[in-house]
Amino acid sequence: MDDVLIQAVIQGLLIGATYGFVALGMGIVYSVSGVINFSHGDFVTFGMFLCYTFWGAFALDPYLSVAITLPLFAVFGAVLYRFLIRPIVGVHMLMIIQLTLGLSFMLQNGLLMVFGGQPLRTPSAFEAKLLFVGDSIVMRWPLVIAFVVSVFLAGLLYWVLQKTDLGRSIRAVHQNARAAALVGINVMAVRTITFAAGFGILAIAAALLLPGTPAHPGMGLRYTVITLMVIMLGGMTNFVGILLGGLVIGVAEAIGTVYVSGIAGMMMPYAIFVLALLFRPKGLIAGH
Amino acid sequence: MLELSSLTAGYGRGQVLNGVSLQIKQGEMVALLGANNAGKSTLIHCISGLVRPTGGTLKFNGEDFTDLPPHKIVELGISQVPEGRLVFPQMSVRDNLLLGGINRRALPGRPKRLDFVIDLFPRLGERLEQLAGTLSGGEQQMLAIGRALLADPKVVMLDEPSLGLSPLMVQTIFRALRALHDGGLTILLVEQNLNLALAHASRCYVLERGTMILEGSSAELKNDPRTRNAYLGL
Repeated sequence: MDDVLIQAVIQGLLIGATYGFVALGMGIVYSVSGVINFSHGDFVTFGMFLCYTFWGAFALDPYLSVAITLPLFAVFGAVLYRFLIRPIVGVHMLMIIQLTLGLSFMLQNGLLMVFGGQPLRTPSAFEAKLLFVGDSIVMRWPLVIAFVVSVFLAGLLYWVLQKTDLGRSIRAVHQNARAAALVGINVMAVRTITFAAGFGILAIAAALLLPGTPAHPGMGLRYTVITLMVIMLGGMTNFVGILLGGLVIGVAEAIGTVYVSGIAGMMMPYAIFVLALLFRPKGLIAGH
Repeated sequence: MLELSSLTAGYGRGQVLNGVSLQIKQGEMVALLGANNAGKSTLIHCISGLVRPTGGTLKFNGEDFTDLPPHKIVELGISQVPEGRLVFPQMSVRDNLLLGGINRRALPGRPKRLDFVIDLFPRLGERLEQLAGTLSGGEQQMLAIGRALLADPKVVMLDEPSLGLSPLMVQTIFRALRALHDGGLTILLVEQNLNLALAHASRCYVLERGTMILEGSSAELKNDPRTRNAYLGL
């Protein structure tokens, strides 16, 4: 019984770190531009299908496809901001929701048209490999890799935000865009770079989540909803809180799946989310 | 050095500036006076690029910069210390200052200018790692000025630097401004404290409802009843 619990918690932490990482992508974009991207999860799906395509065309492992999808997604992010989002920022919040929801439908149905509705498996070198710790704990290698990469990149992002001029500029635009412009920061460039980084994160996350997960055009909404829960738990722009929120949702999901049968088990993260917000409406870490 | 000719600007349908002209020569300290809502802040926001003028031209050393974005104007050498300081409250004093020197021209000399600002305001040097939001109003004003100086400016525009500060702090701030001016810095001062402005600036402009109604040396304007009238909005 105890072994099962430990196993579930570890499984949850492993996947939760990746949820946190995906949510960081939304968090930094929101912090500098106030934009909530409802097609966030669909871009993860899109990234997965790109990896599938590269495997089909060149037998490329998803971990290697990142070298192509990452720059591609960064450009997507920048172009999306410059030409679609920026013209309507400040008009009405609903416009941005409408636009990104529209993108979500376009991506879902576009993928459905091209790849069909059946789940597609993309083989990877580590797909079926297991890591044994002690006698009773088994971890799937893809999850271990996803965890390590997510935590490392989250740490890297934190370092960039704290210690570099780009990071200081991002924080300045978040705190007061007008003052940032007066100081000599190119606010538009900072926002564009942040969108590029936020989408780049999704390309990486897609490759991390893909091995062992069959890709389906409709799965993006789930990632969007998880991301929204995670950044709300974390406190929207509190990056440490967001990573923590990812772990909470990941563990809740794993425990729910193991201990509660069927659909009810899958509701566990949402129940935890509602409970957490009832008691800590400003997020897990009471921030500024 | 800085030259505004027949500048017009407004928000929506309301015209705020109706053809304002102003010149500042290198090394001058000039004050811009006027009642609330006369258009002083709009004027310096036009110079900083935050408000796009609807007509007229802005020139810096003969070069037209009317259409430049704000960060390019800072790079050109024109910095603003905004009303209400607008420091980045959730950032350390050091990070606030470093951001001041982020423009391409100032970046190489940033460490040296940081030392210069700490010499000018030792109080900031003692609080480098503190969050800017925890500073007193006067210290935040020092930080806002220090941040502007990090940009290696040729002209600094200060919007109401004495607002809400204790008399002692006002004295400290103006002593620093005087020292900067003696060191060759060109200053445009927007000040609600009339006596303070007349005492420090060599020349003054008086703005009333978007029109420049008076211009002259501080000594002349001091004794002109129209100055005080404009100031009181009479």
